[in-house]
Amino acid sequence: MRIIIIGGGKLGISLAHHLVDEGHNVTMIDRSETVVQKSMDTMDAMFIHGSGVSANTLKEADVQHTDIVIAATVSDEVNMLACLTAKRLGAQYTIARIRDPEYLNTLSFLQKELSIDYAINPERATAREISRMLRFPFAGSIETFARGRVEMVDFRAAEGDPVVGIPMKEMYKKNRQLPQVLFCAVERGTEIIIPKGDFIIKPGDRVHVVSDVETITRFFTALGKGMSTIRSVMVMGGSKIAFYLVSMLVRMKMKVSVIEVKKDKARRLADALPGATIIEGDGTDQELLESEGLADTHAFITLSDRDEENLMAGFYAAQRGVKKVIVKSSRDTYSSIMHNMGLDSIISTKAIACNDILRVVRSRSSRANAAVERMYRLMNGQAEALEFIAQAGDKYIHVPLKDLKIIPDALIAVIVREGLVKVPFGNDTIEVGDYVVVISRKAGLSALGQVFR
Amino acid sequence: MNYKLVFRLMGRLLLMEAALMLPSLAVSLIFRQGDTLAFLEAIAITATIGVLLSFLLKPERDDLTARDGMAVAGLSWVILSFFGALPFVLSGAIPHVVDAYFEAVSGFTTTGSTILREIEHLPKGVLFWRSFTHWIGGMGVLVFTLAVLPKLSGRTSHLARAESPGPTFSKLLPKMGDTAKMLYALYFGLSLIETACLLLAGMNLYDALIHTFGTAGTGGFSNYNASVGAFHNPLIEWIIGVFMMLFGINFAVYFHLVRKEKEPILQSEEMWIYLSIVLVSTLLVTVSILPQYGAFFTALRYAFFQVTSIISTTGFGTTDFNLWPLFARALLLLLMCMGACAGSTAGGIKTSRVLLLSKSAYRDLEHTIQPRKVAVVRLEGKAVQESTLAQVGVYLSLWVALAISGTLLVSLESSDFVTAFTAVLTTLSNVGPGLNGVGPTENFAAFSPAAKLLLSFLMLAGRLEIYPILLLFAPHVWRKN
Repeated sequence: MRIIIIGGGKLGISLAHHLVDEGHNVTMIDRSETVVQKSMDTMDAMFIHGSGVSANTLKEADVQHTDIVIAATVSDEVNMLACLTAKRLGAQYTIARIRDPEYLNTLSFLQKELSIDYAINPERATAREISRMLRFPFAGSIETFARGRVEMVDFRAAEGDPVVGIPMKEMYKKNRQLPQVLFCAVERGTEIIIPKGDFIIKPGDRVHVVSDVETITRFFTALGKGMSTIRSVMVMGGSKIAFYLVSMLVRMKMKVSVIEVKKDKARRLADALPGATIIEGDGTDQELLESEGLADTHAFITLSDRDEENLMAGFYAAQRGVKKVIVKSSRDTYSSIMHNMGLDSIISTKAIACNDILRVVRSRSSRANAAVERMYRLMNGQAEALEFIAQAGDKYIHVPLKDLKIIPDALIAVIVREGLVKVPFGNDTIEVGDYVVVISRKAGLSALGQVFR
Repeated sequence: MNYKLVFRLMGRLLLMEAALMLPSLAVSLIFRQGDTLAFLEAIAITATIGVLLSFLLKPERDDLTARDGMAVAGLSWVILSFFGALPFVLSGAIPHVVDAYFEAVSGFTTTGSTILREIEHLPKGVLFWRSFTHWIGGMGVLVFTLAVLPKLSGRTSHLARAESPGPTFSKLLPKMGDTAKMLYALYFGLSLIETACLLLAGMNLYDALIHTFGTAGTGGFSNYNASVGAFHNPLIEWIIGVFMMLFGINFAVYFHLVRKEKEPILQSEEMWIYLSIVLVSTLLVTVSILPQYGAFFTALRYAFFQVTSIISTTGFGTTDFNLWPLFARALLLLLMCMGACAGSTAGGIKTSRVLLLSKSAYRDLEHTIQPRKVAVVRLEGKAVQESTLAQVGVYLSLWVALAISGTLLVSLESSDFVTAFTAVLTTLSNVGPGLNGVGPTENFAAFSPAAKLLLSFLMLAGRLEIYPILLLFAPHVWRKN
């Protein structure tokens, strides 16, 4: 596909790398000559120095023959205008990043009027993911499928857990009380494994399990990880994510305090979020954290713009025994360091936005039926969890799974039919309209048909 | 430097070169003049080493820094020329290794300077290979490798950048591989048109191909001692003259032409300046040589051919311009230094650099009159970065420094200043003939092996625009990382 990316910031560059790797023709437009120069050496894409709202620049990028235009500059307004201009000049499909809370209520109207085909708000998506993580404090991350009916949750296996030390095929013979979930992927060191029957979980592994929401909850109760509820939350940094998150948490009747170092920003937050306590101060200042009651808080979330500050504050909170620590970091290289040092819940706005856009690009570039509906990337893309809806006319419909040849390193995790979630066995079939969740180590799947040989 | 990856790259390149020798092998089989065995041996040697290098070593990482990419480009041209010299030596056409290397470098860098006193008696297969190296070298071997081979490394665009001439490098299409394919398609198409024209003008297929290779790569090797003059055919001279001019134009122009995009072509300042220089120089030379030839159209024909031949850095000849008046010779010498457009197959400093230098000189002049005026240098309607201007200045200084120090070294053994000076200029600009002792009817055979190696170095420096070749002398590049 021919893709134009406007804006070479963190998101733009990361997207460009992934899209080039997936074989697309990428042209990037940025106003900074240095960004253009630097990226030109490392990426097989075309770079144009100029403004994405200028019709001339867009024409130079051959916008009239472009399939997808992605506007990801820092400014929402530039993104909207760029999409409008691109669309008028003949672009097929436009994606804009719009993240200012000001536009929240008028978004659908703006989208229609400005011919933006898809608007993403990574900050809001991040906030939503964090609020989900707070409901299941034991989990490193929670991803949802099939309109929220299915969840994929990961946890770190510890010594003494009933799932440790037993081959997969004997898991439920030995643990009869354990609710049946599917063990779909295991991260060990820098490797990701899709477990087969002989696989044995070791302490320290990060285990991803998938099932319907209720079974997942019972599974963790049985594991003894329980549902220790979180009632008080401390947030460091009054960013946009913090705004979206705190409004969600206040609605969930949680006690929330936000620490923001800039006075005017703190005032604006206090005005917009009357249900929360806003504290003006430096979130890396340990004395301040203690005096605001860090020791009694159930969860500590670092959302400042600087990864390093988030990291240090996160370590401090974890060391002080806060039950749930969530750290925002946009650098992929940091996440493995943090995992090694025991911080399991890392959240990256960039990755969330990136996954979402990659999924849209994939489903648009796939001419086949049953294009990807949702996509999550595990361990920097070493494996992917994808959701499809089975379509009439495809070969795999109504064929028992044992008669279908599945590509290596892929796994059909669950099938959801008429609201019922099922971990499939050999005699089960896929029917029209089913949600199908697939875990795969092969990157780039864009349609359900590609899972079968 | 990531040695394993570099070796692998060299291996692929040698395999490619072995494959590129196949057409010459076929020619030698058709004419059967005793050079078939030489080609078989050359192909066997090149391919064997190529296979060994590309399949025995497994690089752990596939990254190539920009600096390494530059050095790799330089290195690959040195090695390519070495193996390209094999058919010359093995067939006995050019027995001395240094001579053969000079001839191969002159071929690949599309210079067209020769050490051969007598060309016509050589086997046709060898002559075909000699001219074919022009065609390969014109658009660049690395670009070709990028076009036909699956990607070796994610970061190959600086390889192509090191090889393509001009102050700035811009892709035509988002993917390097697609850009390379597009460039070669245009190159191939234009070459095909020229061959067809030459056939229609009465050349036989062999001669038509040899002269198309010479024109397309802007090289200048002919299979006749008298070069294009041997045909005594004004039509052929006009055809080759026009095509030499066309191959001196930035290939991006043809890209837009094929896509029927008018605006970028009209905006191509460099092309219009280049064409105007061709026009004005032709007229000036015509007037200058008119007394010598009497008839205006004869003078015009000779003038046009020589001007396009020199400005496009081809170096074909229809007449001995060494006998022309001093003004005409001096003008040709200036055109020799300037060369044609960036992004074409021509050598020299490039029209766009000369244009940028004159514009910034004019701006600086303005600045002394109106010190507070803020002025931006523009090229093709776009503001040029100050860093680019600085680079152009540095490039010119390096070019002049090479020309001066080269002249100094060559004058150790040459008795005539003009010979020494123009020998250096013509090799550095990849033109071919110079004046006096290296004039159109003379050759480079008289130089010592040391001088021939120096001139080979200058040809490579000129073709790759200096940096990739100079980098090979930096110890830093060779350090393992």
